[in-house]
Amino acid sequence: MTDTRLIHKVGADALEWLWAHRDGFQLEPDVDPEIGFLERFKPIGELAMICKVLFREGVAGSRQAQLAKQLLDHAWRETLDGGRMLVRGQLTEPISPIPFEVYLPFKELGYSQPEVERAAVLNHRLDSWAAFEATPTRRLGLSAFQRRFGLPPRPPEPEPRDTTWLARTPEPWTVEGHIAYDVTHNVFHLTDWGERPDGLPPATADYLATWLPVWIDDWLDLERWDLLGELLVVDACLPHPTLDERAWEGFAAAQQPDGAMPALRTMPEGPPDEVFDIVYHPTLVAAYASVLATSRSLSLLAQAS
Amino acid sequence: MEQSGTSSLLKGAVQDLASGVVSALRSGDHARAAALERADGEAEGLAPAAVRVLGADALLPSTLLHTPPLPDELAVFRKAVEAYPPGDDAAPTVLWSHWAMRHTLRRHDPGYVGGPRQEPDAAWLEGATWQVLTHQLAVLAALAVPGEDCAVARAARHRPVDVARGFVRAVRRRDWRQAAGAGRWLTLLEGVPQTLGLENGLDFVELMGGQDPLVALQVSAARLTRAGAFA
Repeated sequence: MTDTRLIHKVGADALEWLWAHRDGFQLEPDVDPEIGFLERFKPIGELAMICKVLFREGVAGSRQAQLAKQLLDHAWRETLDGGRMLVRGQLTEPISPIPFEVYLPFKELGYSQPEVERAAVLNHRLDSWAAFEATPTRRLGLSAFQRRFGLPPRPPEPEPRDTTWLARTPEPWTVEGHIAYDVTHNVFHLTDWGERPDGLPPATADYLATWLPVWIDDWLDLERWDLLGELLVVDACLPHPTLDERAWEGFAAAQQPDGAMPALRTMPEGPPDEVFDIVYHPTLVAAYASVLATSRSLSLLAQAS
Repeated sequence: MEQSGTSSLLKGAVQDLASGVVSALRSGDHARAAALERADGEAEGLAPAAVRVLGADALLPSTLLHTPPLPDELAVFRKAVEAYPPGDDAAPTVLWSHWAMRHTLRRHDPGYVGGPRQEPDAAWLEGATWQVLTHQLAVLAALAVPGEDCAVARAARHRPVDVARGFVRAVRRRDWRQAAGAGRWLTLLEGVPQTLGLENGLDFVELMGGQDPLVALQVSAARLTRAGAFA
């Protein structure tokens, strides 16, 4: 099993980078309508979700907890203008689920924007929302978010869950990048981002326990750090995580001294905003994988003592 | 350049020999004899070396189909066994591959008494990672013969999930030879996860890499093993 300090350091360093580059999380209010105002919301939603996990697990040091709190405040007050940008996004694209998805983790952490909530409740009633065409994994995520918001999910979660690639436990040698990302997000939704490992149906947990080590081995050797990070999250969501030493050491070695995690092989070069767009996600994932794996590692140590 | 020329000739002879074995396994007849003759005709003197490279699988049709090898075939095989004994510092896979040939020769040629019967050491597989285990087993796929017991086969039997993982890894890496060798072992093992989809997996390996006779050989052997042709 990997040294907990190594796992923890990956997350601590990632958070330092995220704080130092917090201005990269910005919206583009004047963007070409063809690209869409909501395109730049996704990173903010991911940032909020991962900071929430960090608070929940309670294993980060006081410095990390403070940075996470500052990052959330910054994102809410500066980037989202106290939630008003979410309202603006909703007015721009009334039935888009994106403002709701970005809002939910903030709401769970005590931030509030009533207009977004009114839109969420109205959209929930629309047949159009339930009929919105999406992959089963995406649909599962939307239903899970409705449940967390306090609405009865439309459709109920088992419905999309049972039609996902992962639920059918297919031939593990057919996995490629897109399928692997569907698998990781499926697990995030089923476990409420690692909060409820028992949300994984037993057959799914068995399947992952058997084949995840192969996928981790593969994407480690391919140096696809973004996907590897997500797979390490999945490992930490399993009933018996492996906290694979070789993978964590490789992952930690790929991280830059300033905490940035390259997406693929080495750090990209270019203007800072372009570099940010490429590496913010793997760096967020590094923080996420680190906090969950640290938490599981400490639980295992506590059980062993 | 002389050396690479010889090496390339040998590679060709091994491929021809493997193709002949595949034909024999698929048809169940004596087409295998033609393979050895062809190898002989094209590269005089390379036949024993080619047999040594292919190892015990050179006589696989006789082993799996229970048909005695032709005298010429047996003679070349015996020559290969005697001409290429493993050196003192040979790798475990080389020691085992030669052991498998001696074992096979004894089965088909009661008159053969050469070489020790004792199995080489298999300790190097104990504690090997699933990646290394599968790679080594694939190199030694000639030992994956139904009803045969040896320390390598026992090591495989103890770790069906690990070998299955190695199969997936090999397919993902498009290492068709390793995938085919691992797949052949898996057909012999109990406790292979159903979700592996081994049967389709073998077809996939054949589709993607079957133009290589060394891949086709392993897949054919696996099919015969599954079909119970050896019983």
